[in-house]
Amino acid sequence: MTGRGLLMLSLLMLGAIAVAAPAGREGGSKPALRLLASDTPIVSFRILFRTGSQDDPPGQEGITALAARTVAEGGTADLPYDEVVKRLYPMAARLGVQVDTEMTVFTGEVHRDHLQEFYRLFSGLLLAPRFDAADLERNRDLLLNQLRNSLRGNDDESLGKAVLNGALFAGHPYGHEVAGTVQALEKLSLADVKGWYRSRFHRGRLTLGLAGGYPDGFQERITSDFAALPDGDAAPPVLPAVRAPEGITITIAEKPCIATAISIGLPLNVNRSDPDFYALLLATSYLGEHRTFNGVLMNQMRGVRGLNYGDYAYAEKFREDGGSVFPASNIAQRQQFWSIWIRPLAHDNAHFALRQAVRELDRLAQRGLTAEQFETTRAFLLSYSRLWTQSLSRRLGFLLDGDFYGVAPLGEELARRLPALTLDDVNRVVRKHLQARDLHVAIVTPEGTKLLAALIADQPSPIHYQAAEGTPEAVLAEDREIERYSLKVNRTASRVVAAADLFER
Amino acid sequence: MPRLLEAAAFLLALAAIGGVAPAAAAGGLFPFPVHEKVLANGLKVVVIPFDSPGIVAYYTVVRTGSRNEVEPGHSGFAHFFEHMMFRGTERYPAERYNDVLKALGADSNAFTTDDWTGYYIVASSAAVEKMFEIESDRFQNLRYTEAAFKKEAGAVLGEYRKNFSMPFLALFEKVQDTAYTTHTYKHTTMGFLADIEAMPTRYDYSLKFFDRFYRPENCIVLVVGDARPEATFALAEKYYGSWKRGSHVVSIPAEPPQTAAHEASVPWANPTLPYLAEAYHVPGFSTTDTALPALDLISEHLFSESGTLYKELVIDKQWVDLLQGGPDQTRDPGLFNILARVKEPDRVEEVTTRIRAALDELKTTPVAAERLAQVKSHHRYAFLMGLGTAPSVARRAAQYLQLAADVGAIDRVDDLYNRVTPAEIQAAAKRFFVPENRTRVVLAQKQEAKS
Repeated sequence: MTGRGLLMLSLLMLGAIAVAAPAGREGGSKPALRLLASDTPIVSFRILFRTGSQDDPPGQEGITALAARTVAEGGTADLPYDEVVKRLYPMAARLGVQVDTEMTVFTGEVHRDHLQEFYRLFSGLLLAPRFDAADLERNRDLLLNQLRNSLRGNDDESLGKAVLNGALFAGHPYGHEVAGTVQALEKLSLADVKGWYRSRFHRGRLTLGLAGGYPDGFQERITSDFAALPDGDAAPPVLPAVRAPEGITITIAEKPCIATAISIGLPLNVNRSDPDFYALLLATSYLGEHRTFNGVLMNQMRGVRGLNYGDYAYAEKFREDGGSVFPASNIAQRQQFWSIWIRPLAHDNAHFALRQAVRELDRLAQRGLTAEQFETTRAFLLSYSRLWTQSLSRRLGFLLDGDFYGVAPLGEELARRLPALTLDDVNRVVRKHLQARDLHVAIVTPEGTKLLAALIADQPSPIHYQAAEGTPEAVLAEDREIERYSLKVNRTASRVVAAADLFER
Repeated sequence: MPRLLEAAAFLLALAAIGGVAPAAAAGGLFPFPVHEKVLANGLKVVVIPFDSPGIVAYYTVVRTGSRNEVEPGHSGFAHFFEHMMFRGTERYPAERYNDVLKALGADSNAFTTDDWTGYYIVASSAAVEKMFEIESDRFQNLRYTEAAFKKEAGAVLGEYRKNFSMPFLALFEKVQDTAYTTHTYKHTTMGFLADIEAMPTRYDYSLKFFDRFYRPENCIVLVVGDARPEATFALAEKYYGSWKRGSHVVSIPAEPPQTAAHEASVPWANPTLPYLAEAYHVPGFSTTDTALPALDLISEHLFSESGTLYKELVIDKQWVDLLQGGPDQTRDPGLFNILARVKEPDRVEEVTTRIRAALDELKTTPVAAERLAQVKSHHRYAFLMGLGTAPSVARRAAQYLQLAADVGAIDRVDDLYNRVTPAEIQAAAKRFFVPENRTRVVLAQKQEAKS
């Protein structure tokens, strides 16, 4: 990790929570409310709607993202965007939006001295959005640039993940980028976006998350104010079954780049509501805990062989929470996937690295964990997960995700379930849900056709060390096994696409 | 409530949560008490109690970064060496060191900048002695084979590769290389690709690097969170007391004044909107000179979301979808960097003209006192709101420890901000935003790639 004069835009992290949270939920005609009271001088909001890109109608992909952005980065009925920004500025308050597949969360954080003034602006944006045409265009341009330039051209790791998501959920409401498609975004009108916000961001899909040092009576005020939103159908769209790949199914996005990025995934019919998830999380942490040297992948691929910067595995959709290595909240999904992330490596090591990662998955699926591996990983997760909720905003996010899945926040579930887990539980779950035969693989590389042909041919692919001298004989012997590890590529389902053509429609 | 009182109320509220004694620097910006001790070997140990029950953030600040890479062909070495620090000792080989961190359930990593290298562990306060043990061990007894050294070079090359798919690394590589002729800020912390590729051959140099810079007088240990100062100092004495003082003095060449405007371009193979970067040389960090605070306030006034230039280019004209500007806070003279992503390639020149006009306007029209007060309020609140957890407090404190070896510098610099007047902003604009002090770099898609 390096940095120069960094202007870190880190999310506000809050201190200790002095008062245990009397969490409550109110029903009836009022919106759902979740509270975490605390003595801190900061007040944190998470205004969450169960509306996400899964709701985008065909041909209007991106409408949820564009509507939510235009609301959060627009004006109120009384004030244009620049005036809202000007008034927020001296408070150093934060206001943002995160749109994801199943949910959209509007976030706000402010010192309680400014709470009333901040809340007037924040609630004004959400309850009486201005929808200026200029705000729509500014936000549309940002989303278009994200698709046309950032993803297609300038962020190969994100491109690999987007291609993997597209392959896993082809023909499914999760299958398109949250930002949408170029052609759909270009066609959306102000009337479309206004209508979409009014019809999909309603009380039936709303949970108000409030945390920190808010004054007495504030929760009643916010509940009453947001009751003014129209009511609507709370049911999310019915999701079709996700089709599993047959064999190793490869999608290569071809573009100029100096290194090859790889993501591997498989559909998973397990999420946090399922007891199996917690055993799977433990086994996945053992294989490749994000940004740590705990995992087998990190140690074997980076540590022993110097192939790249990092290699990790995930038991559910994962994104780093800004400024940390911890999991972001409010990206929950009913249908999940399991994945491996191989960070960019030299083109001539791509085949070897893919073989090595799939082989390690295969070994885990076949052998499971040993008692020692199980115990050390369990102890790690029990302590490490305590660090995820150092800030109040994160605690609130995990609380809302717990509601989504019908369980307690993730850290609490781990604290409750891990001590009761046994090695047999974990290895049973590994055998049930993990395998290395039928996988989606997404690759970003400049010579895609050549690489796909090599993958299909399944000939040995020796590692190319930057400096081979001194490599222990045991490692070289294992290299010879890895370079011959057979990947049964599904040649009819695998394909090469030009990165420049992706996300168009 | 007047802003100052408001801020004071915030500080008191924070202190109350912490349940700690009033801040040692009462009335200053930094709201927590700071306890310091310097061991006989020169190692400074800083303890900042903070209310994070059961959690501490343990930082080791090494006051060496890419600034110290004075020998030709060794750019990027400080960062590479940061990686080597995880390769273990005789007592704690890499695997055992990682096992300890895993057993602690720790969040642990490191980073390198121009001026310093930071190593941190965030974990249970019950394990603080174990942190002292493993960190003091590797800082005194690092040992790795040449083979391990070569393998780590691959990981560093991988880090360069991952960063290079985005335009920012290429752009700022060019900005620094063009703006500087002599000083080591000419290269990025990541280093030039040719030097990174040559790293596997530098094993002997790595031993020298450790011997020179990983010495107690060049390092500071910082513990923030659920920690007691006296007990922490006793642990420091126990584990670091025998660390031998070093003697190396690095001589970093001074950058001569720039005498003519520089221009450069970066052709980009993939689709991208054009990025326009302009950089002006500015002074280094100081606790007595108001020039850098004045420049930082200019950056807020023009480039923040409420900034006048931001309103013109991003909100009203919509010519730009990303606009940032601000000075480095570095030990030696750095750059005031401006970055704009321009929506229409044909508008790069117009955007350049508007940015320069806004800077010129500062020279002739004083910033209104009310606006300056707003900017100062934002600056102060933004700092305070970033102090919510033990790791975030440690990160802020560590930045000033690397700059000035003193957390008290936070308050002295805050005092400089408070003293900045509209006239000083005018003076800073006149002094620094002149053509002969400027470097412009444009990154744009190659024409052949477009077609």
